[in-house]
Amino acid sequence: MGKYVLKRFLTFIPMTLLMSFLIYGGLELVPGDILNTMFPPDILAQMSPAELDVIRASYGLDQPFIVRYFRWLFRVFQGDWGKSMASGVPVKDVIAQRLPITLELALTGLVISAILGSVLGILAALHKGEVIDMILTAIGVVGQAIPQFFFGMVAILIFALKLKWLPIGGRTTPQMTHWYEHLRYLILPAMVLGLTQTSSVMRYARSSMLESMNRDFVKTARSKGIPEWKVNLVHGFRVTMTPVIILIAFRLPALISTSMVIENVFSWPGIGMTFKDAVTAQNYPMVMMIALIIVVMVMLMSLLMDIFTRIIDPRVRLQ
Amino acid sequence: MAGESVISVRHLKTYFYTEKRCNKAVNDVSFEIRKGKCLCVVGESGCGKSVTASSIMQLLPRLSRIEEGEIIYHTHDKGDVVLSDLGKNSKEMRAYRGKNIAMIFQDPMTALNPVFKVGNQIAENIRQHDKCSKAEARKRTLELLKQMGIPEPERRIDQYPHEYSGGMRQRAMIALAMSCSPDVLLADEPTTALDVTIQAQIFELMTKLKEENDTAILLITHDMGVVCEMADDVLVMYMGNVVESGTAREVLKNPKHPYTRALLASILVLGKGKDQNIQPIRGMTPNPYNRPPGCQFEPRCDFACEACRERMPDEEVIEGTTHMIRCCNWREACKNDGE
Repeated sequence: MGKYVLKRFLTFIPMTLLMSFLIYGGLELVPGDILNTMFPPDILAQMSPAELDVIRASYGLDQPFIVRYFRWLFRVFQGDWGKSMASGVPVKDVIAQRLPITLELALTGLVISAILGSVLGILAALHKGEVIDMILTAIGVVGQAIPQFFFGMVAILIFALKLKWLPIGGRTTPQMTHWYEHLRYLILPAMVLGLTQTSSVMRYARSSMLESMNRDFVKTARSKGIPEWKVNLVHGFRVTMTPVIILIAFRLPALISTSMVIENVFSWPGIGMTFKDAVTAQNYPMVMMIALIIVVMVMLMSLLMDIFTRIIDPRVRLQ
Repeated sequence: MAGESVISVRHLKTYFYTEKRCNKAVNDVSFEIRKGKCLCVVGESGCGKSVTASSIMQLLPRLSRIEEGEIIYHTHDKGDVVLSDLGKNSKEMRAYRGKNIAMIFQDPMTALNPVFKVGNQIAENIRQHDKCSKAEARKRTLELLKQMGIPEPERRIDQYPHEYSGGMRQRAMIALAMSCSPDVLLADEPTTALDVTIQAQIFELMTKLKEENDTAILLITHDMGVVCEMADDVLVMYMGNVVESGTAREVLKNPKHPYTRALLASILVLGKGKDQNIQPIRGMTPNPYNRPPGCQFEPRCDFACEACRERMPDEEVIEGTTHMIRCCNWREACKNDGE
C-alpha cells in the first residue's frame, strides 16, 4: 500500500508539470496587453512606447515565453506564488484563506448528496416498479435537468425572500458569536449543491442495487434464513456501495468546479468566486495559481479515491 | 418405497407471471425425498427443475408463486410442517431455511458474496441458527472446511471467494450448506460450472455426507451420467410435469415413458466407440406461453395419439412398484422390449 501511494505521488510530478505548462501557455494565448489591466487608460495613453518597454522589462515580459514559463515555475516551487494584481496581497494568503471556505461548502454538499442519493436509490431499487420508484425516478430526471444556478435562485426566492428563514447569501456577519449562526448561511448553498448532485447518485445507486440484488449471492444469503433487511443491507448494499462510492469520489474534484456556480449565486466567498473575479479582472497570478491548485486537488482526490476503493473492495486490494 | 420420507411434495403448481401472461413452470408435481437417499431430478433446460427446488425453499423470484399443492416437511420433533403455507420470509420459514433445508447452487463463482471472507459467510449461517459466540462459530467453520477437504483451512478461512478456485468454492458452498447439519440438501446443478475431475470429487463428497449424516439429497442435473452414478430415486421432468419417476433401477433400467427413452437414446456412452448411433429428439420444446393442450411431449412423440392431444394423461403407477409413468401409450412404446 505504502509503495503504491509513493508510486502514485511520483506520477503526480510530470502531470503537474504538464498541467502547469498548459495553464501558462493557455493564458499566454489570451488576447490583450497586460499593462492595460495594471494602469488606468489615461496614464497609459501619456506614456511613450519606450517607457512601456521599460515597464515590461521590469516585469520580465520582454523575455521569450519559455524563459518566462520556467522562471514562473521555479518561483512557484520555491513558494513564491506572486501577488494579486488587484489587491497586492500574496496569492498564497488568498488561497489559504479561500480554499477551506470552498471545501466546507463542497464537502457538505457531497455528504448530503452521498447520503440522500444512496438512501433514495436503494429505496427505489427495493420498490422497483412501484409508485415510490416512479416518483423518485421522475424527481431524479427533473433534478438532473434543472441548471444549478436556476435551482439556487429559486431556493433564494422561496427560503430567503418569501419565507425569510435563511439569509440570501454570504457566509458570516461581523457580529456572529455562535457557530450555529454560521450554519444558517451554509444550509441553503450546501443543500442546493447537494440536491443537484443527489439525482445522479440516486440513479446510480438504484441501478447498482438492482444489479447486485439479482446476483446469485443474494439468493445464497436468503437461503441462510437471515432476515430480509439483513439480506438487503448487509449483502446487497455492501456490494452496491463499491461503485457508488467510486462515483461519489469521482464527484469530489468536479464538486469544486460546480461549487463555483453556487458560490457566485450565493456570494459564498470561496475559491470559486475568487477565481471568477480574477478571470474577469485578468488577474493572471491569481488565475494561474488557482487553476494549478485545482489540478493538484483533482489528482489528490483521485488518489484518495483509489485508496478508498482498495479498502472497500477486497478484489482490488490484492494486486 | 422404502425409507421414511423427509419432504413430501404433493401436486405442486408454481406459476410465473409476466405482463398478463402466465407460465405454468411447475404444473402438478408430486414426489418424496427420502432420508439418506439421493433423488435426482432430470430434464432439459426450462422444464421446472430449479423452480421445484426453489419452491421447497420458498426462494422463488418476484412475480412467481406457489399456486396450489403442498410441500410437507416431516420434522423429528414438531410433526409435519406444511412449508408451502408459511410466509415467504416469515420467521418460521427462515428458521428452517439454512438449518433444516439447505441449498447449493449451480455457479459457485457467483454464489458467494465477493466482499466478505468465506469463513464469515459460513459462520453467518451458524450464528443465524445456533446462537453461539463468534469464536465458537469460527471453530465450527474451521472444522467444516477441514471436513470438506479444503487444504490449509486456517489460512483459507480468512480468504475472499476470489482467492478460491472453482471446485474449492463449491466445497465452501457445501460447507456452508452443511454447517447446521440439515436434513435435506437441495443441490441445483452443483457441478455444471466445474470440470469433470472436480465434478467427481464434489459428488464423492456429497455421497459421503449422505451416508454419514443420513442427509436426504435432491440433486438437479441434466447429465444422465451423473444420474446413473448418484441416484437412488429418479424424477424425469418435461415442461413442468413429472413424466416418469421411480427408483433408479426402475427408471434407468426399464424406462417406459417415450421421453425418458428418447432421452436415454440421445446420449453417447463412453467406451462404445465413435460409431454410435445417436438419436436426437426431434423438434423443440414448446413455447411455455403457448403450450400444447394435452400431453406436453405430444408434438415430439412417436407414439402420440388423439387422446394425448386432447388431455394430459394421468399419472399411472405400475402395480407392485413405485414406478410412475405419465403416458397413455407407454405399453405400446415398450412392446418391443422383450420383457
